[in-house]
Amino acid sequence: MGRIEYIQKQQKEHSRKVIGALPVHYPKEIFTALDVVPVEIWGPPGLKAGEGAGLIQTYICPIVRNAMSFIGSGRADIVDGLFFPHTCDSMQGLATLIPDWLNWRKPVFRFQHPRGSHRPEALNYLRDEISLLVRSLEKAFGLSMNMARLHEALRLHKEAEGLIRLLFSRRLYFKGSDRELYSLIRQGEFLRVEDHIPLLKKAASEMADRPVHKAIPVMITGYVPEPMALLDALNAAGAMVVADDYAGIGRRIPRPIDNRLDDAGGIDAVIRRYLSLPPCPTKTMNPQSRIPYLLSLIRESGARGVVIHEVKFCEPELFEIPSLRKAFESEGIPVLFLETELETELSSRTITMIEAFLEVLKKNTKGEAAA
Amino acid sequence: MIRRIRYESMRLVEGPLLLKLQSFLIKRQKKKPEKYPELGPPLKTEERLRKMISLHYLTGRYADGAVPVAWATSGAPVEILRPLNYHVVYPENHAALCGARHMAGPLLELAESRGYSPDLCGYARCDLGTAFGGRTPAGRLPRPDLLVACTNICQTVFFWYRELARHFQVPLVLIDTPFLYGEPLPHQISYIEAQLRTLADVASDVARRPYDLESLIRATLLGMEGSLLWRQCLETNKAKPAPWSAFDQFVHMAVIVALRGTEECNSYYRELLDELKDRVKRGIGGIANERHRLLWDNLPVWFKLRSLSGRLASKGFHLMASTYTNAWGETADLLNETDPWRGMAKAYSHIYLNRDLPNKLRVMSQLVKLYECDGVILHSDRSCKPYSLGQISLSEKVAQACGARTMLLEADHIDTRAWVEGAVDTRLQAFMESFK
Repeated sequence: MGRIEYIQKQQKEHSRKVIGALPVHYPKEIFTALDVVPVEIWGPPGLKAGEGAGLIQTYICPIVRNAMSFIGSGRADIVDGLFFPHTCDSMQGLATLIPDWLNWRKPVFRFQHPRGSHRPEALNYLRDEISLLVRSLEKAFGLSMNMARLHEALRLHKEAEGLIRLLFSRRLYFKGSDRELYSLIRQGEFLRVEDHIPLLKKAASEMADRPVHKAIPVMITGYVPEPMALLDALNAAGAMVVADDYAGIGRRIPRPIDNRLDDAGGIDAVIRRYLSLPPCPTKTMNPQSRIPYLLSLIRESGARGVVIHEVKFCEPELFEIPSLRKAFESEGIPVLFLETELETELSSRTITMIEAFLEVLKKNTKGEAAA
Repeated sequence: MIRRIRYESMRLVEGPLLLKLQSFLIKRQKKKPEKYPELGPPLKTEERLRKMISLHYLTGRYADGAVPVAWATSGAPVEILRPLNYHVVYPENHAALCGARHMAGPLLELAESRGYSPDLCGYARCDLGTAFGGRTPAGRLPRPDLLVACTNICQTVFFWYRELARHFQVPLVLIDTPFLYGEPLPHQISYIEAQLRTLADVASDVARRPYDLESLIRATLLGMEGSLLWRQCLETNKAKPAPWSAFDQFVHMAVIVALRGTEECNSYYRELLDELKDRVKRGIGGIANERHRLLWDNLPVWFKLRSLSGRLASKGFHLMASTYTNAWGETADLLNETDPWRGMAKAYSHIYLNRDLPNKLRVMSQLVKLYECDGVILHSDRSCKPYSLGQISLSEKVAQACGARTMLLEADHIDTRAWVEGAVDTRLQAFMESFK
């Protein structure tokens, strides 16, 4: 079932409200607990210029430009409201441009997470922001938050995240390609978690008893896995993603080590989970926290190289590139940096770069085996 | 102790003497003929401005190890640092200086050679290039003991200062100001207030000095007065002809950015205000023949200040107001000496760039009306995404609301590579011709 059919089904058959959610971090459990369905708008890629496209300069990131075009051309009119997390300057600008000047007449919700969220004042503020979001959703749609339902939502999200973690940790046992794995995980961008879990469970249950791929394991980091053709190119060149640090995928899964869900209930549990998210340049203040996290991810997954895949003009991500490269290279981990827009296909230059990178990884592997 | 004596000596004795000598030498130089005779006579206070800013950078060379040094964003609450005797460096102000002196290029390239994307903010790249040891017109910047970034001007400063913290290995205090969609909510103000108090604690620890509330109140009052004086200076442009141009303002705002919260700053603006009032009385304008009055939106193109100014002036266009310079005077009333923390929280969150597009339209419309502008140039600044996003709609809306002609000028505030001479010329010509 495609997104449109799914949205219509939620609205017509279940009388649920559907919200168009812009990237990237937000307390999804709140929406689940209120039985509101967030459908994420990551661009979308490969979009033909719509009504709003000319309203944003070409040097602004394509995710924001495409979202503007998509919403401006009426293609998001099916949803019952829009939701803007506070990701970056461009998203912040979009959160005023669309509701204030694009004749968007449905409810708009915003969530401004604190930067450096572990400080005491930031925790109080985060609590207030989450409470404000709850009240806004309740008021706009005549809903009421139920603590038992929130507890259940937390349990469901934890279950889905555990399954995604399992799929990555046993990647070589999953029979499908990277595109298939990512497509499965990314269905969570529009499915209710209750509908996503059975798909994830099915995939987990179908995993082989022994590794079925002889690919070179790599880690990937960046903003969003678009274009998906990049994953095809990696697989075709002989690599496989075993560890993920995309803002839209891996960085939205709380780390289990900090995930003391059982210690707290209600909004406190939501806050704890939020604080347990892996470091992300859009919100983490400590410049020293991200590199150790990524290095441990590489070690634990057995990745032999790192692909840094960024969306052009993405400031939060681009500022971190030099220190990431330096850290990986000083550990002897080969790095490939790729910058793409939300095009549908990869350029031949990008494909060549991927192939050359895999040649290096293969040589390294052979060298290590010989040694 | 020796470093402190050296610093104070440079600040009070050697620096002023050196600058006097420099002034003497400049005066002896043969004056070049004015390239743009259409511009008005230069402001007399320019000489004092030059000396103040030069002295600030000159003493800065001796500041590390002598006094605590902070690097701060232009929208950071400097009033908190003043009582602790910090020497405050403003990387944005320094980058503007590099841009205006045509010295930013190698610094940008140095940052890029270290892997920073050319798509990142030019100020940030220029600053990182300086931190990596690039050549600066300031000689050298003192190494910071503390970094203070306030997101009221952009989120970029958060990412940029995180890189500085990584490089210098010093504490970074972030004042995270939630973006205002409409008016601020109580929990947002409380959040900012708490962060300001944290800044005072950290700054006090770094400076190894106890915090003194009386001094904070004094600095707040000085900051308030400075911003009000700056606003009064800007408002002299209600007169026709306007006594100074926005290009002059871009230069003279260096003091409100770099020395805000000091008596030195306020004394300077009192002198400037007197001079501007005198020019109004005598009918002296910022350009020789003011036929049209223009408003500028966004940061200036630092490396083209004079030529842009001259080009416009040659056709009687006086660019005499800007949303950028206005930003340093618009929130002064919110500061409050009886509740300095709350007052600062309000003032620093109400910054133009931290507010939604309807507010931007309201401010631009007010400025167009206040200064009777008949045109607006919106600088679509590749380096400054938060200022630029929304300008395409803003251009249309301000034209509708005020009947002003508008144009979008594609450039960059510091990176000369984004300047396409022919395209800018054609657009400017077409814009100016539309007034006939």
